[in-house]
Amino acid sequence: MNCDQCQELIQDLIDGSLSQRDEFTLNTHLQDCMDCESVRQDLTSILSYCQMHRGEYEAPPNTQALWLRIRNVVEAENGARAAAFAKTRQPSFLSRLMGHTWELSLPQLAASAVAIVLVVSLATVVGLRRLSGTEGVSATAETQIKGAYNVNERLWQRQQAINYWNQRVELNKTRWSSNMRDTFDRNMKVIDDAVANSLNELNRDPHNEFAEQMLNAAMNDKIDLLKDFSDL
Amino acid sequence: MRTRLFTRRTPARGSVLAIGAILTLISLSAVAPASAQQKISKRYPGGKNVRVELKNISGTIVVESWNKNEIRLSAIIESKNANVTPRQVNDCLMVDVMSDNRGRGDVGEINFKLQVPVNSSVDVETRRGNINISNIRSDLVRAHVSSEGDIELTNISATQVVAHNVIGNIFFDGEFSGGGTYEFKSNKGDITIRIPGNSAFRLVAASPTRQIKLNDFWNNGFKTQDGRKYVGDVGDGRSSVSVTNFSGQITFLRK
Repeated sequence: MNCDQCQELIQDLIDGSLSQRDEFTLNTHLQDCMDCESVRQDLTSILSYCQMHRGEYEAPPNTQALWLRIRNVVEAENGARAAAFAKTRQPSFLSRLMGHTWELSLPQLAASAVAIVLVVSLATVVGLRRLSGTEGVSATAETQIKGAYNVNERLWQRQQAINYWNQRVELNKTRWSSNMRDTFDRNMKVIDDAVANSLNELNRDPHNEFAEQMLNAAMNDKIDLLKDFSDL
Repeated sequence: MRTRLFTRRTPARGSVLAIGAILTLISLSAVAPASAQQKISKRYPGGKNVRVELKNISGTIVVESWNKNEIRLSAIIESKNANVTPRQVNDCLMVDVMSDNRGRGDVGEINFKLQVPVNSSVDVETRRGNINISNIRSDLVRAHVSSEGDIELTNISATQVVAHNVIGNIFFDGEFSGGGTYEFKSNKGDITIRIPGNSAFRLVAASPTRQIKLNDFWNNGFKTQDGRKYVGDVGDGRSSVSVTNFSGQITFLRK
């Protein structure tokens, strides 16, 4: 059996749908071939991770923005439909207003409320800017919001990677010696402390660039440690 | 009389002696695997510019140069179950303990010593354990400890040097080549860099605990972020040096 044939059958092996003979041949190849064994381990890890998290759905990073986008799409479609209808029939403004049905779901209502608050806030900021003559207030606010969003998004992505590698480590950890487990835990704690310190600083000052850099570095170290130990 | 002593051994005494001998053999064979230690020593031909790649799981790694155009690999292997199979492809010698022992469980510590030509590229890593590399002049010296272990790089002149660990000290004694890149990173341990006074490099050093001592290499051109990060040029900044330490000291020394 060559590697291509083996890797085609690995999925069936994990599913348990191979004949005894094929299973034996495949296992013999896997014992000799590190590459294929690595593929099998990766696939098993991914499948077990998916099985453990079945039904769990991560919330999108910015739910408010998502709801606003959905609302805009819905309104745009309604607008297009209304325009097409208006071409065929031109009712009076009052009859149109009275005849319109306002059926909004709770999230739509919430999104509308958020949109109103945003519009009012924006109007207030513009008004204040005109009054005080200061420049760049809205630009700064926008940059800050974007910055915070980017940090959260990056953290979320890294956390996903950490979760994945952590699953792999947990699968293999039972095979390690107690010394190796102690070493891993001790080093993970050191990195976790570095992550926690940087996060605390960022909570105190969300625009602390140094803390953000150190947080990135510490999270990369955490991923590296997990990756290195996941093969043991 | 003497003859009688040897010839008149009763059958009972003989059987007792035989059983004793068997028991001794059994006990010896039972103890032997527990203390079994393998030692290997092999030599590999190589030119002046060879590359050595070593991936260990646990144990120390010592790499030093010698004045022969060949590589000598010595290892003390703690466990009898462990397998070390070096592979040589052209001018590159590779040892991957992880791959060689996949599925064998815990293989204990393996302590390596490599003697290589002075111009060899050295790329070594271990999950835990100390790394000691000395007297190398080449294009690459990389020492990576995934968890804990000290890294000591002595008399090194390479265009790329990388030293990473999580817990443990890092000591570099050598020189920075023009256009080279040098990266030192530890999470908990001291990083000491000892270089000639006329070294020229661009430095980015970061330590949240504000323990950065540039000593003779400090100048007014350095920009600092609250004492936790220093960025600046020493000399004409020909090489690039990055030092990061989360909770330990960063010290530059002049030699």
